[in-house]
Amino acid sequence: MALRSVSRRLGSRILNHRSFVASLHSHATSFGFQEVKEEDKSKLVGNVFTNVASSYDIMNDVMSGGLHRLWKERLVGKLSPFAGMKHLDVAGGTGDVAFRIYDAIYSVKRRALQKVDEASLEETQIYVCDINPNMLNVGKQRAAERGLRDNKSLVWVEGNAEALSFDNNSMDGYTIAFGIRNVTHIEKALAEAYRVLKRGGRFLCLELSHVDIPIFKNLYDLYSFQVIPHLGELIAGDKESYQYLVESVRRFPPQEKFASMIADAGFEKVEYENLVGGVVAIHSGIKL
Amino acid sequence: MYRTAAKRLLGGGGAFTATRLLRFPKLRSTIIPSSYTSGLCTSSVGGNAESPMGGNQSVNPNQSDHTASSSSSTSTGEGPRRDESRKPRAEFQEEQARVLSASLRHVPRLGWTEEAMMAGSRDVGVSPSIVGSFSRKEAALVEFFMDECLQLLMDKIDSGLDLQNLIPSARIAKLIRIRLEMQVPYMSKWPQALSIQAHPLNVATSFKQRAMLVDEIWHAVGDGASDLDWYVKRTILGGVYSTTEIYMLTDDSLEHRDTWAFLDDRVKDAFDLKKSIQEARYFAQDIGAGVGKSVQGLMNGVMQTMSRRSGGTTF
Repeated sequence: MALRSVSRRLGSRILNHRSFVASLHSHATSFGFQEVKEEDKSKLVGNVFTNVASSYDIMNDVMSGGLHRLWKERLVGKLSPFAGMKHLDVAGGTGDVAFRIYDAIYSVKRRALQKVDEASLEETQIYVCDINPNMLNVGKQRAAERGLRDNKSLVWVEGNAEALSFDNNSMDGYTIAFGIRNVTHIEKALAEAYRVLKRGGRFLCLELSHVDIPIFKNLYDLYSFQVIPHLGELIAGDKESYQYLVESVRRFPPQEKFASMIADAGFEKVEYENLVGGVVAIHSGIKL
Repeated sequence: MYRTAAKRLLGGGGAFTATRLLRFPKLRSTIIPSSYTSGLCTSSVGGNAESPMGGNQSVNPNQSDHTASSSSSTSTGEGPRRDESRKPRAEFQEEQARVLSASLRHVPRLGWTEEAMMAGSRDVGVSPSIVGSFSRKEAALVEFFMDECLQLLMDKIDSGLDLQNLIPSARIAKLIRIRLEMQVPYMSKWPQALSIQAHPLNVATSFKQRAMLVDEIWHAVGDGASDLDWYVKRTILGGVYSTTEIYMLTDDSLEHRDTWAFLDDRVKDAFDLKKSIQEARYFAQDIGAGVGKSVQGLMNGVMQTMSRRSGGTTF
């Protein structure tokens, strides 16, 4: 897997405001390639995740060939978690990213190498927020398996990315991994992210994105539309959900557009990094 | 490049605004206060475009990277500037400079590490998360310090040091001494800084910074050479500076007296070296001349013998 960092400078965006709004509106009313009413989208998405919750992790492994672990490692590496941080992982139901952050902060090796203030270690709070209670339950279960059931640092919260229940300027970090695609109104989620972050806090988004490389793009499309739904059928017993998944990836704004949306929400130093030629992209920004 | 060329282009005065720091984009001294110029652009390996302050309408979209490199260069997003912003949008570069500057205070205690930078960020009132976004984190701090010191040196030179009454070797010694004294507060952690600078990822930048420093010193000494000598002079001075710097790491004498004695010796050696090279060159020329004469004499003799033998015919 070739990790290629590509950042774009956001020059003056001579965006046609109307078409911009139109494409966002289309995200709000699109359920994959279907057109749906805005009010219905979140319910439909909710159904998808209720259906796939139990086999979510194994499907991730199968679909990405295990690569999703590396992508999440990279995300957490970029975040550089520190002891005492207040972190919010949105749409992080099954806890993949949250556990990695927890490990990064509490790892014995790290504590040995760096002088970590034990008191600040106690203050660490990792909030896992998800709109779907089934996904949260899977996450809590996995926490219990790791012996973190009663750990005060991990907090599981049910909530909507578009209307978070956290205070302004309360978070040092905000991550959303493979979740922003499913949000009805992306700008609202971004605005909420901006609101809850402290000054200097970082926003990181890991998401399936657009591939531009000629031949690779065709292979990827073939894989997405021919293979993944059938895998979904086979393993999760749910073809439609995975059809929705691959379609929603295509409907999501491309890297540059999404980066400009993040900048519009108020973030500074907005960059993105393509992984696997654009199959996945990590967008980042800082609130100043 | 560097100040020598810049001065030649602009004929002296106003050198400060004309100085083109290699790693950084063009200084817009009207916008960026001088105390921050040294801290810019540590977030990218190559040069990158500046972003305007709050109040400007748009980013310059056409600036290209100064150095072609495959690694990322930063981009800055701005919110909608169409509506007048509620608060002035702090530049990321400025924030970074501010954080790094505040971090320096913690370096003697915590070293050139992320902890120092996080402590610095807390001092400034910014979440420590921001440290995660500095590229090559510890290197950013070290490079910021190096730039600050260079800036300080340049300011000192501009504000008038009494260099005219000294011979060149004494001038060089004085300037190096001034520069090295800036590192004294951090001496306990300086080996760590050196090792960070020696790291493969950081070597390119640290080399450039040292090159600029050496160029600056030679320029202040009054050297305007731009032929091959230029490289030789700077290499030698770079060597003198580095060896003195390393000597200083283990010097316990009062006020680093031993280091300055060492420095004077090295500078003297360098100048002696210059003389010795010159002497060697003359010697080689003489020998060459001598050998040439004898070979010529030999050839003449051979020619005469051959012409006599062939009965006086000449061709």
